[in-house]
Amino acid sequence: MSLWFLLALMTAVAIFAVLWPLGRATPSQGGRESAVYKDQLTEVDRDVAAGLIPQSEGEAARVEIGRRLLAAADAETDPQTTPRLGLRRTVAIIALVGMPLMAGGLYLHLGSPALPDMPLASRATAPVATASLDQLVGRVQTHLEKNPTDGRGWSVLAPVLERLGRFDDAAQAYRNAIKYDGDTAARRAGLGESLVSVANGVVTADAKAEFDRAVALDAKEAKARYFLGLAAEQDGNRTQAASIWQPLLADAPPDAPWRPVVAAALARVGAAKVPALSDDTIASAQNMSEADRTTMIRGMVDRLATRLKQNGDDVEGWLRLVRAYKVLNDPEKSRTARDDARRALGQNEAGLRQLNEGLKAMGIDG
Amino acid sequence: MIAEAGHYALVLALALALIQSTVPVIGARLRDPALMNVARSTALAQLLFVGLSFLALVTLHVTSDFSVANVYENSHSLKPLIYKITGVWGNHEGSMLLWVSILALFGGMVAAFGNNLPLSLRSLALAVQAWVSTAFYLFILITSNPFLRLANAPIEGRDLNPVLQDPGLAIHPPMLYLGYVGFSISFSFAVAALIEGRIDAAWARWVRPWTLMAWIFLTLGIAMGSYWAYYELGWGGWWFWDPVENASLMPWLAGTALLHSAVVMEKRNALKVWTILLAILTFSLSLLGTFLVRSGVLTSVHAFATDPTRGVFILLILCLFIGGSLSLYAWRASALKQGGLFAPISREGSLVLNNLLLTTACATVFIGTLYPLGLEVLTGERISVGAPFFNLTFAPLFVPLLLAVPFGPLLAWKRGDLLGAGQRLFAAGGVALVTIAVLWAWTRGGSAFAPLAIGLAVFVIAGALTDLAERCMLFRVPLSIAFRRARGLPRASWGTVFAHAGVGVALIGIVCESTWNTELITTLKPNDVAKVAGYELKLDNLAQRQGPNFAELLAHFTVSEGGKTIGVMTPSKRNFTTRAASTTEAALMSRGVSQLYISLGDASANGGIAVRIYHKPMVLLIWFGPVLMAFGGLLSLSDRRLRVGAPKPAKASRSLQPAE
Amino acid sequence: MIGGALLVLGIAVGLVLNALRDSIVFFSTPVMVTEKHIPAGKRFRLGGLVEPGSVVRGDHLEVTFKVSDGSASLPVTYQGILPDLFREGQGVVAEGSLNQAGVFKADTVLAKHDETYMPKDVADALKKQGHWKDDYGEGAKKASQAEQAQQSRGVMQ
Repeated sequence: MSLWFLLALMTAVAIFAVLWPLGRATPSQGGRESAVYKDQLTEVDRDVAAGLIPQSEGEAARVEIGRRLLAAADAETDPQTTPRLGLRRTVAIIALVGMPLMAGGLYLHLGSPALPDMPLASRATAPVATASLDQLVGRVQTHLEKNPTDGRGWSVLAPVLERLGRFDDAAQAYRNAIKYDGDTAARRAGLGESLVSVANGVVTADAKAEFDRAVALDAKEAKARYFLGLAAEQDGNRTQAASIWQPLLADAPPDAPWRPVVAAALARVGAAKVPALSDDTIASAQNMSEADRTTMIRGMVDRLATRLKQNGDDVEGWLRLVRAYKVLNDPEKSRTARDDARRALGQNEAGLRQLNEGLKAMGIDG
Repeated sequence: MIAEAGHYALVLALALALIQSTVPVIGARLRDPALMNVARSTALAQLLFVGLSFLALVTLHVTSDFSVANVYENSHSLKPLIYKITGVWGNHEGSMLLWVSILALFGGMVAAFGNNLPLSLRSLALAVQAWVSTAFYLFILITSNPFLRLANAPIEGRDLNPVLQDPGLAIHPPMLYLGYVGFSISFSFAVAALIEGRIDAAWARWVRPWTLMAWIFLTLGIAMGSYWAYYELGWGGWWFWDPVENASLMPWLAGTALLHSAVVMEKRNALKVWTILLAILTFSLSLLGTFLVRSGVLTSVHAFATDPTRGVFILLILCLFIGGSLSLYAWRASALKQGGLFAPISREGSLVLNNLLLTTACATVFIGTLYPLGLEVLTGERISVGAPFFNLTFAPLFVPLLLAVPFGPLLAWKRGDLLGAGQRLFAAGGVALVTIAVLWAWTRGGSAFAPLAIGLAVFVIAGALTDLAERCMLFRVPLSIAFRRARGLPRASWGTVFAHAGVGVALIGIVCESTWNTELITTLKPNDVAKVAGYELKLDNLAQRQGPNFAELLAHFTVSEGGKTIGVMTPSKRNFTTRAASTTEAALMSRGVSQLYISLGDASANGGIAVRIYHKPMVLLIWFGPVLMAFGGLLSLSDRRLRVGAPKPAKASRSLQPAE
Repeated sequence: MIGGALLVLGIAVGLVLNALRDSIVFFSTPVMVTEKHIPAGKRFRLGGLVEPGSVVRGDHLEVTFKVSDGSASLPVTYQGILPDLFREGQGVVAEGSLNQAGVFKADTVLAKHDETYMPKDVADALKKQGHWKDDYGEGAKKASQAEQAQQSRGVMQ
């Protein structure tokens, strides 16, 4: 209730500010113009006395100011004040009734009087058990802002951020973890994964470099190997992708949760018939409906398109994209891709020639 | 409760402004003193409530109350206290609240100290002031409300951008606002005079201190902004002619013209119509600046188009006030009586020339700033108008202006003696010519432009000193008498001397810096020595250092001159741990008024580092000049003749008064 | 006196027109460059995103990179120190001209200063290309006077 009391008090002060001059018996009359000219006259006198302006000039100035003084004094002899009591009363009523109504109405429309203040000091002590994941992450981040060199904190935080979908932050957290708590294959792989997520699933050069580093640190690092395969697949090199994934699946412990993912990937690149593949994975890949398969292929094509938009120099990639759209029975997209390719290769004459030859071979006019 | 009380205080201020903008106008029309006096008390109450509102927002930022959307978006619990406070006006909503707070501050000051003003003029001026306030309160409450709440307070704020945590960035916006918004007073007085249909020499005297105050703040604000850009941006530039800077320069040029024309009006009752127009234009340019900066039209037409409410609202305010006041001017100005006559060669004539050149220069900046925007709106073609445009237009207009500056104060009112003034400036001209000759000989083969420009600057400074010497009759009377006369000079005269000399000083700095600036961009390895302008800078080592929330690459330079070590410089490059952000911390070393300046680039693979080293001769004069100008303004403001309060008669005249 | 005023105005108009003819710089994106056939040697401003993976640093502070607007990209060379916020995948504006080989030789490189601010020209161009990310728009709106003034610039010569 104290808020309402305060607001009422403020309103009272505001009303008082309007009523006060209305109720005063002898209102302030303000200054006079003639005062300024009198002042100017004394100035001229002083300046002449000090020799700052010559006598003659001072005399002329005095005459001029004197004329202005007379005119001003004439105007001031007749103050012409006409008290309008009725109008004053109206203004008083507006101030008493209209102002609180208007201010109150507008405030209730805009404000949230029911919400209490929530300064940080009063909220930071909420018990951990009831805190949401966001709040917990916030608290860890606060801790790390204060102790940015706490590498363990960063390595705990990074995967959580990744799961929350804050990929940029996750990448930065992985970098800090590597910097302050040592370089490990898992962290490099995590960093790479975050970068891939940032790029909407495209394994960028940066990300690939991280996976390479991870594998260099630990040749058995599964996540890095999976993504390296994915990079090869996105580059259109299915054989290489398969050659990375097959040993990965062979190494995998039977209960590894990512086994089906790799198996599905292998199925995608057409190298599914490998002895290491467990029966049920084959079943799941084979049981994939036609619609699912199309979706999967479309996803791949989209990723290729995204990558080419980033780096348009890849003639082979463009040709593959055009062909893919053709195969998917999407002639319009196929044409758009052709135009995009020509624009991207605009400066690269050899590339353009290669592209045109490729298009011709595909039966698409130049 | 703080947030809601602050919000309500802002709404109350709007209600008071509505009363203040109507009741006094009716009162002035019907000549009812009580109704007119409402202006005063409401202006003070308005100041109280806006002040409370602003304080509330500051408190919310300090206590990190993230249930307020504005605090959540623009603050962070780990910001240092000082940046929590300055962050209040680092964002759009907060800066607009600061804008209206300063508007209310000036209104409150007129109400509190305007005892010497005739009642009707004061009431009308405060009413006009309230029109402006009303428009901006509505703008804030409807489109940019800083007190909107979030029901579930987030645990942490979003903004901890380290790049924005800088003292220079914290101080100069309020300074600029004090200048911008201060010109609202002369605007209000001008509109009030037009409504009354009567204007006299006294008007100029009442308005001048307010204009002067705004001008001082704007001068300092611009200078500080420029110095901040110089040391923070890392490549030694101090003025970029970008639209944001131009937005502050235009009101300054118009305001400087206004200051000078108000003198003519006060002394000679002349140039009245022109002075009123200048007062309107100066504040209109301030509003235009606010529009350019606040509507987002400069940052991105896209941002303007996707969220047009703000931009369109400010554009409406702009059209309403500029269009309205200019229409009123066109309607009423012819009714104003013309005042004193004067010959072309006279003090008045020289001030007219000053006004002409300043406003023309202002117009060229206006064109250069708005032409690209206009062209894009009309044709969709995008262009940029850069420094060359302004150098080609602005500089040629300033040369005759500066040539004329020393003559002005030496000419008499009404009819001056150009030849006499010329004779008295003989010494100043001589000093300038000698300077040109010496510089020419010294920089043989260099450009002729620099010695001439410096000669011009010396002429301006020597001219200002000549004015002073003339006034105290130096060399014509014994030294002790001259000294006494100097002490007896009105402070306004001293102010003129300092302000004019400041222009010359700044010009010397600008010319020296841009002509003889030495720049070296290279890659250095530890123990390499770079030679710049006679200084040897040895890179001793490169070190990594961990700061509170950043990792820093610190370069340690030993600077020596002629084999003698004179100091160390440590520029650095910071990478912030929790943000993907880096900043360059330039190192500066002052040698007299010249500076050495080092900023770091990227480290190269072979253990070296890219560095940018400048020697900037006389560079500090660029900012020392405006400080002198502002100091001159301050002296003039402290002159009892222009005192903000009632012009208190001198002691002697007071004792004479009963006899009158 | 009126004659004097007209004289000053006349001179000013002359100065403005002359300066406008000589010192205006147009803005282009890579795709506009290929479409418009801007002649070599003509100064203009090139805006777009720094293409990821394209930045190559050479000796004597030489840098080459590609600026792309999503549908075309243009190689750029620059000698000097790049601004702090020059980064791959981020917005950039370079001023300079094309050489005979069709490479853009920049003498000024401007980069945006905080993560969300983008030079206006770039934002508009990307919007046209359909590459606008909404968070950029949000940031651009937020960019205050100070942030704009902060556009860091790298300058040579």
